[in-house]
Amino acid sequence: MNINYLLNSLYLIKPEIAISATLVLLVLMDLIMGSNKKLLPYIAIAGLIAASYFSVEQFGMSSLAFVSKANKGMIVTDPFGAFFKGIVVFASFFVIYFSIKSDEIKASFERHGEYYTLIFGMILGMFFMISASDLILIYLSLELVSLSSYVLAGFTKTSQRNSEASLKYVIYGGVSSGIMLFGISILYGITGSTNLYEINSLIQTSSIPNLTFILSGILIFVGIGYKISAVPFHFWTPDVYEGAPITITAFLSVASKAAGFALLIRFIKITFIKSVDSAGYWQLVDIIDWKTFFIFLSIITMTLGNFAALWQDNMKRMLAYSSIAHAGYLLLGMAVLSNQGMIAIIIYFMVYAFMNLGAFFVVMLIANKIGTEDIDDYKGLGYSQPFLGVCLGIFLVSLTGLPPTAGFIGKLYIFIALVDAKMITLAVIALLNSVVSLYYYIRVLRNLFLTRPENGTFEFKVSFSNGLVLVLLAAPVIIFGLYFTPLINIAKSSIQILGF
Amino acid sequence: MTEFNLIQIAIAILFLPLVGFAFVLFLGKKIKSAYLVEVGILILTFLLTAVLLFNKLYWFADKNIVSEFSWISYKNIAVFGNISIDLGFLLDNLSVIMIFTVALISMLVHIFSIAYMAGDKLYNRYFAYLGLFTFSMSGIVLTHNILMMYVFWELVGISSYLLIGFWYEKKSAPDAGKKAFLVNRIGDIGMFSGIMMLFNTYHTFTFEKIFAQMASGTLPFNSEFWLTVTGLLLFCGAIGKSAQFPLHVWLPDAMEGPTPVSALIHAATMVAAGVFLVCRIFPMLTGDALFIIAVIGALSALIPATIALTQNDIKKVLAYSTVSQLGYMVMALGVGAYKFAFFHLITHAFFKACLFLGSGSVIHAMHHEQDITKMGGLKKKLPLTYATFLIASLALSGIPLTSGFLSKDGILQGTFAFGSLTGYWLFPAVGFVVAMLTAFYMFRLIILTFHGEPKNKEKYDHAHESPFVMAMPLVVLSALSIFIWYTPNPINADAGLFLGKWIKTPSLSVPQNARYSFMKTDLVPEGKAENNRDISNEVKKEGTAEGKEVIYSEAYTEAMHHAHYPAMFLSLFVALTGIVFAFVFYYWKKISADKLARDIKPFYKLSFNKWYFDEIYNATFVTFTMLSSRVLAWFDNTIVDGIVNGAATVTRMISFFTGRFDNIVVDGLVNLMAYLSGFIGLVLRRFQTGRVQTYIVLVVFSLVIILYLFKTF
Repeated sequence: MNINYLLNSLYLIKPEIAISATLVLLVLMDLIMGSNKKLLPYIAIAGLIAASYFSVEQFGMSSLAFVSKANKGMIVTDPFGAFFKGIVVFASFFVIYFSIKSDEIKASFERHGEYYTLIFGMILGMFFMISASDLILIYLSLELVSLSSYVLAGFTKTSQRNSEASLKYVIYGGVSSGIMLFGISILYGITGSTNLYEINSLIQTSSIPNLTFILSGILIFVGIGYKISAVPFHFWTPDVYEGAPITITAFLSVASKAAGFALLIRFIKITFIKSVDSAGYWQLVDIIDWKTFFIFLSIITMTLGNFAALWQDNMKRMLAYSSIAHAGYLLLGMAVLSNQGMIAIIIYFMVYAFMNLGAFFVVMLIANKIGTEDIDDYKGLGYSQPFLGVCLGIFLVSLTGLPPTAGFIGKLYIFIALVDAKMITLAVIALLNSVVSLYYYIRVLRNLFLTRPENGTFEFKVSFSNGLVLVLLAAPVIIFGLYFTPLINIAKSSIQILGF
Repeated sequence: MTEFNLIQIAIAILFLPLVGFAFVLFLGKKIKSAYLVEVGILILTFLLTAVLLFNKLYWFADKNIVSEFSWISYKNIAVFGNISIDLGFLLDNLSVIMIFTVALISMLVHIFSIAYMAGDKLYNRYFAYLGLFTFSMSGIVLTHNILMMYVFWELVGISSYLLIGFWYEKKSAPDAGKKAFLVNRIGDIGMFSGIMMLFNTYHTFTFEKIFAQMASGTLPFNSEFWLTVTGLLLFCGAIGKSAQFPLHVWLPDAMEGPTPVSALIHAATMVAAGVFLVCRIFPMLTGDALFIIAVIGALSALIPATIALTQNDIKKVLAYSTVSQLGYMVMALGVGAYKFAFFHLITHAFFKACLFLGSGSVIHAMHHEQDITKMGGLKKKLPLTYATFLIASLALSGIPLTSGFLSKDGILQGTFAFGSLTGYWLFPAVGFVVAMLTAFYMFRLIILTFHGEPKNKEKYDHAHESPFVMAMPLVVLSALSIFIWYTPNPINADAGLFLGKWIKTPSLSVPQNARYSFMKTDLVPEGKAENNRDISNEVKKEGTAEGKEVIYSEAYTEAMHHAHYPAMFLSLFVALTGIVFAFVFYYWKKISADKLARDIKPFYKLSFNKWYFDEIYNATFVTFTMLSSRVLAWFDNTIVDGIVNGAATVTRMISFFTGRFDNIVVDGLVNLMAYLSGFIGLVLRRFQTGRVQTYIVLVVFSLVIILYLFKTF
């Protein structure tokens, strides 16, 4: 192997290198420091700062790494990838802060080294998921994320719920990635290549056996669908979200989903595209009818997510179903198959990161103090804890998608994309779904503010730093709800995917 | 000082009072002296507006500074068309002069309130509301688009509502607040429809862009008629906010609020917002719209002036007078005397604020006595209040050497010119009658309050001159009622920078054939423009030189010039007549009173004709004015209020039936849907068994289904 092959590409994967280096540093520090593990999260944050710097740098780039004669390139660096890396890093910052404050995690103090190392393993995997352009790397990155998260989901070990969630996750994840691998091997068998760009040029020129191609495409989607928890590949989500430590749940619901969507968009756009017309609509290779597929998938995903959430009593489980429903809304943006839809998805993710992390943070703070995530135990909390109550209210209203919160803007842009593509029926279905979702979000608010506590008041104080972080999450939800031009500008500059 | 600095200052001016509001509202309960922060912020705001005013007028007098950012921009959307909304500031001479006035009066009222409201249990909250009001009012003045203006328009409505009903423990106060809010709503509906018409036609809310498109020929529904309708709908907002006929009923009731609030909101600034709105939309008003505006203004000037003659509550007299003066301004705009309307808006703000604060000082001294028939002789007890009150009254009556003389004379001159050009002599007639009535009722007020014998000895003995914080604003405001600030020539307003340089009539965007004939473009040959004595400044010099559009025709300029001296002398004459009558009736009545007339009736008839004067006047003028003011008051109370009440009854009936429909049919459907949703949820939950084996089976199963479906697609 030519040494230049590596050297020329190294500067293109600086964020990944930063994460890997931090991962190694964390392992070493864990060994050196012995029992003093307080430093670890700060090392992690330092590593994230470096990674975020390098990710932002990639906004101006547009090139392929690890190009050889045999391969058109394994990793893509482009503004699209840079944006999703930014979302992952953003979520990681908050999750590491949550981990410092979480009682659940504090309880397993002696294993903190593993905890942060595994989180960085996940981040590394997500980074590769976001920028991979080769089926092998896609599979490996997906597995890296999955394996790290299996362990993290069962991290606390103390509760049975935890271990059960972890085990379910392993089995379910194993089957999904097995199915995906099967699909990848079929695709490789048909085209003789694992590089997405090569596959694209191949299927445009030569004739491909239709049925096997469809089979491989859908089997590969199973692996991605499981990561973004699209129905009917979502079954692990409620159980794992409920069982895992809340920090990990928050991380899975934002970062893992973002990486999954980045992978999905890149996979579809690079592999199947023929051309992009002047209005920004994608013309795909017409062997697989992805449009119908996504329409169908988005409808059942959001409908099932919303309706199942109606009956949940556990806050985390409710948020799990809500995150399934949100995956459905995001798939709507996918179904449009246009640049407009991409902009909508990117805006939605920016908004979603704030409101979902915020909601989980409030749930964690309350769980820390009163030791329960049951919605019925929230009765009257808005009176004794007005600050937490109002913040949770903002996040939930935003998740519902009501103005003047940012959640409204996210949904609005998805609807605009749908209307623009003349998919009015789909827009109406999504709208009705939003109405259903109003019920279970507002139910929490009703418990917070309209009912009196059953057993005593909640006497605890929110510390200054926690309050500050909450404001950091809640204020943008309101501000972006009123002034959202910056979001749109970021989104417009982030849709550029290399090659098209 | 660059333009950017000015914008920064404007941002600070807008948001500082909001900071004060939030601070005092949230910390007012904990910190006793939180109000001092609000007062301090207002002083700072005022200083900033002074800096802004000076720099804008000195460096950028001929330039409109605009700063905007894109709030919403969707560009072209399939169904809705182009939707993009910009928010931003417009700093032109109009807005900086207005913002200066608002900040100055607001600051003075803050200072005045320190003493006036002392001891009130919601002391801090009062100041918080004042801060909210100042913020909202600044927003109306500074914005460059009508959407933001509408938002702030409603915000001043809210703060006005809160402050009218501030003493919520007495029943009349919250009632008055509600009345003000509801009556305003009627006007605002019209305004909102007008805004929607504009947006539907021009796809922007920004004034300048709307006018530019209009000038290039785009009209609502492509017709001048709809342009007139749009203009009048927007004017509806002004009718409500500026208490114009027939929606003027709320303003006198609004006097239930604390007196400094009446000075700030219900005399000087908020009620003038309507006039300010008409000034802003002046370029898009057609001749027909302007004529209707003039008629409404004339009615609003006349009716309240006649009512004010008979009122005994010191604040009510001033309130009717405010409506009347606002009517004056609106009438002036309607007849095309744009500059003088705005001029009167500013001068009126100062002297009317002075009168209200003066009445506050009197009320304070008399321990919350507001009835002027129970006052009298306060001149000796309250010399400073008397002096300032007198100066402001002279200004309101239009006596030379005051600011009011200049602006009122300008308006009368405008109506006079309008009369001579179009033959509608009724407008100048109304103007002069109102001028006389104004002088009369103001001096009646002064004589009954400050002169003569004290009627309530006990309260009189306890009366005392107000403390410094209350006296200082009075002195400042009365000083601003002198001519010297506006023009060096006490009989010609045009000689000053205010009208000569700063305030110019904006060029019209209305199609030529929809304008008043005297506002049509007639190109003035270059030479003639030079020869033309620059009397009224209405001709835009630079426009003329380039052969571009002029706003008024030559004929109008001539008419204005000819109208100047007749209008001035006539207005002076009627004002003096009014004052003399006031003295005859209320001051000298001791020597010529009806009692004497009854005792020595034959002597009275025979000796001096002057006595007949009194008789005739009593029999005709006074009775007639009394009667007509009663009739008009009756009209007000019965017909106008009756219409409002009738509409309310109908609405209630309709809402009863729709409520029933809602409860039974709609709610039933909703409940059914909710039940169904719950049911579906229950079914879907069944799949989540918690057993991972089932999950995997389900995945494989659904995978097969998907594959099967895709084969057939």
